[in-house]
Amino acid sequence: MKKQTIIAVLAATVAFAGQAYAADMVFTSWGGTTQDAQKQHWADTFSAEGGVNVTQDGPTDYGKLKAMVESKNVAWDVVDVEGDYAVQAGNAGLLEKLDFSIIDKTKLDPRFVTDYSVGSFYYSFVIGCNKDAVDACPQSWADLFDLAKFPGKRTFYKWSAPGVIEAALLADGVPADKLYPLDLDRAFKKLDTIKSEIVWWDSGAQSQQLLASAEAPFGSFWNGRLTALAQTGVTVETSWTNNITAADALVVPKGTKNKEAAMKFIANATSDKAQAEFATMTGYAPINTDSPKLMDEDLRKTLPDQQAETQVNADMSYWAAHRDEIGTRWYAWQAK
Amino acid sequence: MVLSATTDGGERKIRRNGSFGYVVPALLLIAFFFIIPVLMLLMRSVLEPTPGLQNYQELLGSTTYLRVFLNTFTVAGLVTVVAVVIGFPVAWLLAIMPDKWSRLVMAIIVLSMWTNLLARTYAWMVLLQRTGVVNKMLMSLGIIDKPLALVNNLVGVTIGMTYIMLPFVILPLIGILKAIDPAILRAAALCGANKRQCFTRVLLPLSLPGIASGALMVFVMSLGYYVTPALLGGTSNMMLAELVAQFVQSLVNWGMGGAAALVLLLVTMVLYAIQLKFLNPNRAR
Repeated sequence: MKKQTIIAVLAATVAFAGQAYAADMVFTSWGGTTQDAQKQHWADTFSAEGGVNVTQDGPTDYGKLKAMVESKNVAWDVVDVEGDYAVQAGNAGLLEKLDFSIIDKTKLDPRFVTDYSVGSFYYSFVIGCNKDAVDACPQSWADLFDLAKFPGKRTFYKWSAPGVIEAALLADGVPADKLYPLDLDRAFKKLDTIKSEIVWWDSGAQSQQLLASAEAPFGSFWNGRLTALAQTGVTVETSWTNNITAADALVVPKGTKNKEAAMKFIANATSDKAQAEFATMTGYAPINTDSPKLMDEDLRKTLPDQQAETQVNADMSYWAAHRDEIGTRWYAWQAK
Repeated sequence: MVLSATTDGGERKIRRNGSFGYVVPALLLIAFFFIIPVLMLLMRSVLEPTPGLQNYQELLGSTTYLRVFLNTFTVAGLVTVVAVVIGFPVAWLLAIMPDKWSRLVMAIIVLSMWTNLLARTYAWMVLLQRTGVVNKMLMSLGIIDKPLALVNNLVGVTIGMTYIMLPFVILPLIGILKAIDPAILRAAALCGANKRQCFTRVLLPLSLPGIASGALMVFVMSLGYYVTPALLGGTSNMMLAELVAQFVQSLVNWGMGGAAALVLLLVTMVLYAIQLKFLNPNRAR
C-alpha cells in the first residue's frame, strides 16, 4: 500500500513538472548584467505580449546542450551561445533550423545570420585601463603586449574563443586583413612573451573585479563590461584601436518541445525595439539595423558599431571549422 | 568511520532482522543517478570518436596532460601537509579544552563549512590580491615594499584549499586525541621524557591513525577539487577537474573528458583501497 502511495505521489509530481514545462519556455544565457537585460527587454516584453511564460536558466553550457539533444530531453528552448559555436553546433546537427517566416531576417545584420542562428548582440574586445591606477594607458594591442613600456599584470579572456589570438597577431604586426587563416605558431610565440604577466578572467564579472581593484590595471575586455564598470565610478579608459568584434547568437536546440514559442521569442528578441533597449542598457551593439535610430545619440557613440574605422571582424566560420583544434592547443599552452 | 564503529554484535542483529531492506532506496539512488551515468561517460572514453584507447593514449602520452596530473598531486599533497600541520594543534587544543569551550570552537569551525563555497573563495580572492587586505597590511607595516603574489598561483590555491579542508583534518583527529589517556603523557614526563620526546614518541604515534585518515580524506577530496583552484590558481597550476571541465564544457570532447575523469576516479579508488586496508581504525585498536 505504502509503496503504491509513494509511486502515485512521484508520478503526480513528474506529471506536474512536465506540465509546468509545457506551458513555459526556457531561455538560457550567461548570467550577470547581460542576462538581466535580456530578461527585462526580451523575455518580459515577450511574456507580456504573447502570454508565454519565459523561465530564465544559465549559465550556457555546451556540454549540457549536447547532452540534452542526445538524450532527447531538451529543457532549453532558446540559448545564447558564442557565434563560432553556433556555426559548429549547427553543422553538427545539434540545432533546429530557424523559421524565417516568423523571424524577419531582412532587418538583421547579415554577418550574424545562418540557417541555425541569428545574432543575439555583438560586442568588441577592446583595451580597457584603470586610469586611477596607472600613469599611462596602453593604446594598441602592441602596447598591451609590450612589457617594457607597460610593466605589470594584464588580463585576458581565459576560454578558447575569438579574440586573444587575433590580438596577439595584431600586436606582432600582422595586418588586420591578413589575420586569417590564423598563424597559431606566431600567435603563441607572441603570447609567450607576456604569459608570466597574464591574469585570466573567466567571467565578465571577474574581468570587472580585476580592473576595478587594479589587480590587473589593463587588459582585453568585452566593451559592455567596461561601460557598466564606468557607470559605477571607476575611471575607465577604453581604446578602440583594432577592436575585435565577435557576436553571440541565439539558437534553438534540436528536439525542443516549444519550437514555435522559441521562434517567436527570437523574433521578439531581435526586433528593433528589443535590440535597441538591450543595447542601451548593456553597451553592446544591436544586430537589428533599424535599432540605432531608436537610440539616444550620445549613447550610440559608445557602441562598437560606431568604431568601424580600425575594427577587425573575427571570422566566425574560420573559428567554427577550427574550434576544436585551436581549443586543444590553447588549453595545452595555458597549462604549460 | 572513526566515530561510528559498530560492534560485531550490533551488525549481527541487523542482519538477523533483515533490515538490509532499508538501504535499498539509497543504493538505487546511487545506482541510477551516479553509477550508471558514470559508466556511460566512461564508455564514451573508449567509444568516441572511434572505438579504441586513443583517448587514453593522448592523455597519458602528452607532456601537457602529465603536467596537469603532476599539478593535481602537488596541490593535493601540499594542501594535505599544511592542513595537518595547522590542524593538529587545533585538534589537540579542542581535545583537552573544557567541554563548554571546545563546543564553541567546534561550532565556529563547523560554521565555516556551512558558508557557501563560492562566497568563501571570492573572499579569499579579495583578501589575497595585490591590492588586497593582506598585502596592504603588510606594506603599511613596512614588512614588504612590493605586493606579494598571493593569488592566481600555487600559493593562492594552497591557502584557499587548506582553509576549506581544515575541518576534515580536525574533526577525525579530535576523536582519536580524546581517546588518548592524559595519564600516559604524565607517565612519559615522569619517566624523564622532555616535551619534545613526549610529543614525538608518545602523542604522535598514538594519534597516527587519526592523522592518516584525516590526511587521506583531504588528499582524496583535493584531487577532484574544481572551484577553488579555478578561481585562485593560475592556468599553469591547472588541476584535473578543470581539465575535465574544459573537455566537457568548452571543447565538447566527451571522449577525452571521460578518459580524464576515469583516471581521476581510478587514482581515488586506489587511495581509498589503501585506506581501507592499512588505516582501518577498528583494526588498529
